[in-house]
Amino acid sequence: MTLNIAVLVKLEPDFSEGSVSYNPDGTLNRAETKSRLGAHSAIASLAAFYTKVKYGGYVSVCSMGPPMAEIALQEAQLICDADELHLYSDRLFASADTLATAEVLKQGIKKMNSGKEMDIVFSGHRASDGETGQTGPQTAWKLGFTFLGNVIDFSVDLNNRFILAKRLIALPGFYDIVEEIQAPLPVFIAIDPLYKPTFDTISLRLTSSKYLKEAKERADSYKTYLNVLDHKKLELDPRLVGLPGSPTIVHKVEKIPKARTTRIAELIEGHDREGIINSVTKILQLIQK
Amino acid sequence: MAMITINKVENNHITNKEERYRHLFVIIESLNNELIPSSLEMLGEARRLMDHFNQKYNLNEKVIAIHLGDGIKDLSQDLIYYGADAVIYADDPHLKYPINKIFTKIISRIATDPNSIREISPEYISAFKKPRYMFFLADSIGRHLSSTVLAELDSGLASDINKLVISDLDIKHQHKTKGETITYKKTLEMYRPDFSGFLWTTILCLDNKNPEIEKEFHPQACSIIPGAFQPIIKDTKRTGIISQYRPQFDEEDLKIKVLKQELVKNPVQFENYKIIVSFGRGIKENAEENIKLIEKLAKLLNAEIGISLPISKKIFHLSEKYDSIYITPNRVVGTSGRKVTPIIYIAVGISGAIQHLDGMKESDFIIAINPDENSPIKDVCDVFIKGRMEDVIPVIIEELEKRSGQMKEKEIEVNTYGKL
Repeated sequence: MTLNIAVLVKLEPDFSEGSVSYNPDGTLNRAETKSRLGAHSAIASLAAFYTKVKYGGYVSVCSMGPPMAEIALQEAQLICDADELHLYSDRLFASADTLATAEVLKQGIKKMNSGKEMDIVFSGHRASDGETGQTGPQTAWKLGFTFLGNVIDFSVDLNNRFILAKRLIALPGFYDIVEEIQAPLPVFIAIDPLYKPTFDTISLRLTSSKYLKEAKERADSYKTYLNVLDHKKLELDPRLVGLPGSPTIVHKVEKIPKARTTRIAELIEGHDREGIINSVTKILQLIQK
Repeated sequence: MAMITINKVENNHITNKEERYRHLFVIIESLNNELIPSSLEMLGEARRLMDHFNQKYNLNEKVIAIHLGDGIKDLSQDLIYYGADAVIYADDPHLKYPINKIFTKIISRIATDPNSIREISPEYISAFKKPRYMFFLADSIGRHLSSTVLAELDSGLASDINKLVISDLDIKHQHKTKGETITYKKTLEMYRPDFSGFLWTTILCLDNKNPEIEKEFHPQACSIIPGAFQPIIKDTKRTGIISQYRPQFDEEDLKIKVLKQELVKNPVQFENYKIIVSFGRGIKENAEENIKLIEKLAKLLNAEIGISLPISKKIFHLSEKYDSIYITPNRVVGTSGRKVTPIIYIAVGISGAIQHLDGMKESDFIIAINPDENSPIKDVCDVFIKGRMEDVIPVIIEELEKRSGQMKEKEIEVNTYGKL
């Protein structure tokens, strides 16, 4: 048997230098910033590729977004050699919060690969713009799949149909924990940024390069793999998506007030060599106390 | 006469709706029978909010701590001492590890079962449907748990919150109110700092009052950034109700098994250093070379290296080596990362978003190197060196090397400056 694999991806602002633009007050200039496949989505695509190479499978990639989000799907296809691309695009989906987004993604995943049930769904850790990390687990819950977050490594037992995953649980100010967990398929995996697949046998490396070559060909003509679905094709109740389906709203956005001035700084000009050397003396005095 | 009756019915209807949602539920986390300290921070903020709430609205709603685990019963009293009015705990070997699916189901059942509050507030039990508010921790457990619980309860969630206010708000919204102005009472304003740390977004979870899409969205829930709030001082005179919940498990869910948990030591141990040198977007002109410069400086000072939050988003193209050593979440200083209090904190090319400042401003002595004199970091530092890091750091390095050379001559060990 092979696996039915799904990947959720997102078109996001590209935060890398040269692509990103900031307003003078330090906030993101969205109009001037380019968009591309989100960094965490790329890692999720890589996990799907690894799964396809190692266990065999049919990979479906989906995204909810405006028509231009198809470039994120193309980029993901190049990484994971997707067999199918789904774009959920509809004006009614605009401004959805995570719950309303999860509703669309759930319905879309049910329609993947001619309606076959998925075995593993991958998502990124979080989007780098919204940053909530909620959409993945909420989609998992709506699908009824076991959710495994912060997964840094995994293997699949095809015969017994379960997954073995390693998770990094960070509890700030307390401990970090590495957990090994076993769960029956189907599962939903939010992949951790620390995940790094290794193709450690010759046969895996050969399969990998074969699929990568195929991925390149496919991504060049990605539109032939692309299905664009609106709320009607997804059979979605308009009251459950977009703004009507969103419990939360953004009420206001404001600048965070400046911190109280807690110290009066001594100002040293950058060309004041003696001033800088005095600071070095001060540093050394302080730590020798 | 008929008119009066109708009015009365309508009023009752409105009151009843509101009575369905009571109390603030706080989801407590613990590990190996030890409370995760940030759980107490949440309880502290919950206590302050509900004291104010009950006074303002003349009500008697409670802070209810929900705690699941194995052998955790004895921690209940502490939760009362730290601000809870009541504790509902489920103590079972199947709850030893916080398995998302199992915890989500049990928390959701507790939150929707009127019997949960039977001992705690019998006066509210008849109409009770769900909690009014719910708090989770924004860590690797609570972040996902909050998402799935709120998906199950079919309501809204705001993540990574660091300020909370309860107030009555006049809302005019295309969808929520169909463009009418409607007052939403007892609304939880959830403030969330954005990734830059310069903007605060206020998220509200509101019922749809527009008749075409009418729907109630409760509880109003959020996940709270660890370190954002202070716990109250432990008060052993506080009393409260401790009640046990006996969980039922679905056979299928028990096939999910945690095989092993290992505590790992964070490789970045800020606590072991007297000096921390952190860098921010100011390295941009030549990111990799500048990181090498900072690395050299840190080595001479025996300092650990930190980064600002935007840097952790991998915004620079660096070699694999530097990327994997320095551009990691465990080096982030600030409320989204770690709070540090070294003897000396050196901020290089960091403008000073408030979430960063909150993570370092209690350091003994703070030096900033930044070309922009108007950077907010200037307001919290002792020495502000106005200049490009490329110009300033080499001067410092040269001086340190000169002095360590002099020390060598005196046969004193080099590089022992910062060691504890």
